Amino acid sequence: MRLLPAVFAAAAIAASCERCAAPPGAAGGTMVIAATGDADVLLPPVTSLTTGINVSDLLFCRLAELKLGLNTIDDSGFRPVLARSWEHPDSLTIVFRLDPRARWQDGAPVTAADVAYTFRVYRDPAVNAPLAPFLAAIDTVTAADSLTAVFRFRRWYPEQLYDATYHMRILPRHLLDTIPAARLATAPFARAPVGDGPYRFVSWRTGAEITLAGDTAFFLGRPGLDRLIWRIVPELPSAVSQLLAGEADAMEVIPARGQLERVQQARNVRLVPYASPFYGAIVFNLRRPPFADREVRRAVAMAVDRQTVVRSVFGPFADVAAGAVSPMQWIWSDSIRQLPFDTAAAARMLDQRGWRRTAGGARGRAGTPLRFTLLVPTSSQWRQQAAVIVQDEMRRLGVELHIEPVEFTVMERRTTSGDFDAALVSRTTDPSPASVLQWWSPGAGANIGGFADSAFQALTATALRARTRAEAAPRWRRVLERLNDEAPAVFLVSPRNEAAIGTRFADVTIRPDSWLATVTEWRVAGDRGAAGR
Amino acid sequence: MLRFVARRLAFAVVSVAAVVLVTFLLVHAAPGAPMLGTPETIASPEVVARQRALFGLDRPLPEQLLRYAVNLARGRLGESFVLHRPVADVLAEAVPNTLLLGGTALLASLLLGLAAAAAQAARHHTRTDTVLGVVTLVFYSVPVFWLGLVLLLVFGEHLHWLPVAGMTSAAIHDRLPPLGRALDVARHLVLPAASLALVQAAAFARFQRAALLETLAAAHIRSARARGLPERAILLRHALRGALAPTITLAGLSVPYFLAGSVLIESIFGWPGLGRVTYDAIFARDYNVITAAALVAGVLVALGNLAADVAVAVADPRIRVDR
Amino acid sequence: MSPWRLAARRFARNRPAVRGAALVALLALAALVGPLFAADPLAQPDPVRLQDRPPSADHLMGTDPFSRDVLSRTLHGARVSLVVGVGAALLAVTLGAGVGLVAGLAGRRTDQLLMRGVDVALALPRILLLLAVFAVWDNAPAAAVVGLIAATGWFQTSRIVRAAVLSLREADFVVAARALGEPGWGIVRRHLLPHVAAPVIVSASLDVGNIILLEAGLSYLGLGVRPPTPTWGNMIMDGKDVLLSAPWVALAPGLALVVTVVAFNLAADGLRDALDPRAAA
Repeated sequence: MRLLPAVFAAAAIAASCERCAAPPGAAGGTMVIAATGDADVLLPPVTSLTTGINVSDLLFCRLAELKLGLNTIDDSGFRPVLARSWEHPDSLTIVFRLDPRARWQDGAPVTAADVAYTFRVYRDPAVNAPLAPFLAAIDTVTAADSLTAVFRFRRWYPEQLYDATYHMRILPRHLLDTIPAARLATAPFARAPVGDGPYRFVSWRTGAEITLAGDTAFFLGRPGLDRLIWRIVPELPSAVSQLLAGEADAMEVIPARGQLERVQQARNVRLVPYASPFYGAIVFNLRRPPFADREVRRAVAMAVDRQTVVRSVFGPFADVAAGAVSPMQWIWSDSIRQLPFDTAAAARMLDQRGWRRTAGGARGRAGTPLRFTLLVPTSSQWRQQAAVIVQDEMRRLGVELHIEPVEFTVMERRTTSGDFDAALVSRTTDPSPASVLQWWSPGAGANIGGFADSAFQALTATALRARTRAEAAPRWRRVLERLNDEAPAVFLVSPRNEAAIGTRFADVTIRPDSWLATVTEWRVAGDRGAAGR
Repeated sequence: MLRFVARRLAFAVVSVAAVVLVTFLLVHAAPGAPMLGTPETIASPEVVARQRALFGLDRPLPEQLLRYAVNLARGRLGESFVLHRPVADVLAEAVPNTLLLGGTALLASLLLGLAAAAAQAARHHTRTDTVLGVVTLVFYSVPVFWLGLVLLLVFGEHLHWLPVAGMTSAAIHDRLPPLGRALDVARHLVLPAASLALVQAAAFARFQRAALLETLAAAHIRSARARGLPERAILLRHALRGALAPTITLAGLSVPYFLAGSVLIESIFGWPGLGRVTYDAIFARDYNVITAAALVAGVLVALGNLAADVAVAVADPRIRVDR
Repeated sequence: MSPWRLAARRFARNRPAVRGAALVALLALAALVGPLFAADPLAQPDPVRLQDRPPSADHLMGTDPFSRDVLSRTLHGARVSLVVGVGAALLAVTLGAGVGLVAGLAGRRTDQLLMRGVDVALALPRILLLLAVFAVWDNAPAAAVVGLIAATGWFQTSRIVRAAVLSLREADFVVAARALGEPGWGIVRRHLLPHVAAPVIVSASLDVGNIILLEAGLSYLGLGVRPPTPTWGNMIMDGKDVLLSAPWVALAPGLALVVTVVAFNLAADGLRDALDPRAAA
């Protein structure tokens, strides 16, 4: 029983530490991030789960980073990171001059050979990097000397610099090139990586916690927060409870309205809104009736009161989508022409196409009722909610909408094989306008509805040739307006991202495509760094 | 006795093999490809197709099964599609956490259940008996995930008595002395273990009360009573000793309950254990992880059954003849 | 007096059991009739202004995040829970009794085979199998939920029945009936079934509550009977995001679950005590 006092003392210590998650001085620079999923691996070419990407992004640097505006066309949209500067000797070449101060965390310098090696890894079929298709236009990457990397492109296009820098994070050749490509993802390195970024890997307790420490020797300056800890809590309400209880400081995005309202009322955390990379849309299958008919698609699109859908599902936390574009992209604009919400016009259009109301109020043509099935993933609450509201609006139009909630992987299988009438999908865009092509150009794997329109193709071809952002913006706008007119989908909503960040953090800015991209500048309020400003 | 145990052990091996076979067929017959990327970002079909080829998923099912069986015989559980690491490593991290949670909950529920049952049996037909009867009945009827949510909200978020989620405190855990670390884990263990234990304790109590009352009515106890031993001494010395074997049996047979509960409770409390690994793997169609998790679950259930069988056999020699 | 009538009398004298049975009857009635009068459980009268409204005259138990009537959904959810609970328990017990009878009556080899199969099956991690199947099954109807829960839940019953049959097989009255040349099926029907019935009924009634909880757990994970069809499990899932701001959304189905399971367990306890007087202390 003599142990008892000691036990109590230790309990008191543990309890008192818990109360103040970050006692000033001791752990003042620690930020605990609540995440709803664990990381998969920490090797950029193969990492594909959100937390894995967030963590590995801070361990490995790009050659250059997009600035906050996410301008993907002009060179002025980028800031140097591993590359101190770059030039375009001809239309098919970019030459990067590496920063000689850049070091791997084991002390080795970052060299052009690392860059060339990285390109080989990303393109290697045995690695099967999900982003490899984005590098298709790059022919070769070579090291001219230890600090000069030369990218050769197959063709000229304005986003060469974006493709050369955005998709790849440079890997340490000297630590990896003895591992066969197919074994890279399973190598010990992928779970305890050595990077060149502002943070060093410290530990990873699977399913529980990942810890990074600020690299005091980082060549671009020591980050403002000493320690980042991801705590993994799969249930969203529990994760938010952690924030409210002071066990965590930040969350990338609070995706449910009820939880947002909880955070809004909290004192120790605030919501930080930022433009989202998402849009949600009801995609029609154009290969089969009734949506092979453009007029039916337009009528259905015009009968959806998107404003109501957005307000009732998201409250103040989302906007009506302007089209096949996310608010994060620079081609986004709230003045893009969209189909009006006009149920009367929609009804007239259906009448004209022969879909007339029958006795029960439902529409039909030659004995065939006008109805369709909408696939919705069970994993997404907002999509199920939105589907029910749209169903009601369709009923008023005389169209029978059957909601089929299916599991996510099943939905994916059915949409990619064309086995659906309509599907409520959520799309994540990257900053480049080229992402429009990923989903809407004919033959693209993700063009699930089979949309094919020559005018759209001609417009995108023109837009892709624009040399500057100023020149490209109006052309992309015409592309998006064409899509709205053709209505291959009802572009419903752009959820607004709301990060939750502890009120004790200052200098918080968020780059929409990668919420921790500027975390090196975040600081604990009252810390020396902030006081010195 | 030894032969009996050996035979039960052989059956356990067969049943685990059956579990693996059934699970393997179920997951491979499932529509939907292994998931790549997050639910919001879809990998391109080419990448998915290559991934399938890399893992041999494009081969005919019998070939895949054979290959899996051969690997399993060599002690290889394969690699996780999502986590890019050996399944054995994934489980080696998760299983101890689940054993800690489930073991604590099991112990707590046995003690609580037996205590409640003893209190009821000793005060049969009194108010204590009735009140405890109602309490155990209600807890026996509560969905465990609901209890977990309520405990989390009340004691974690609202009262701040205990941490809301996770297994350790962020940041400070590694700086604590060993005892402090153990206590830190213990503090995180309280709510999830209590959620599991309260429900199961109620089940145990209901069973044990009946068993104790039956034993109290039995002959040798009647004789003890005739010898003038006080009622409480009888209960403690005779009835509870007689209840030991049934308790082990109960504990052994309750393994499936704790496994099922861990799927729900580990998600709610962010406990990094087998239940969560399994749940995540099922939704990601991470075939090798699902099958291996079923293997581990099958082994645990089989061990529980084995313990129960042995306990019964030890307590009641007649049963050996029957089997 | 027949043993059944004795049992009925014992049951009637057991006040908690009678209350439980009455509650079960009431719940069944509510599930049967309630939905006829209640609002459409899927209707979203005004998703903009009627979200998460507290209980009022229009919505006695308030509305959920989709503006649906919680009372109506709870009543409809009762149908799912009762149908799945009772249906799966009955089906499981029938299966178990069938296998148990066959094992007990057929030759030693069949018996061995069946019982070893049951031993193996008892080691199956039930929840895991159900999770895997339902995660795969696009849109499982309630019948499939009933079927699968039953298919994974009859093993224990078959053991009980087999044991009962084995002990009865050599009982005097069975031996006598056989000696008198009564056909096998007749013996089963007239002599074995009535004696086996008691443990089977007890086992089934004790199962109902557990199955209702199991189904709720599956629905809570979004599996089994899928949304928007209301089940108590998925209602709790819908309500967990607003547990503090609109507690009625999750509280109503949660309480309904507890009350229902308590009622079934009370009745089941009563049945056990009535049918197995030895256990009644």
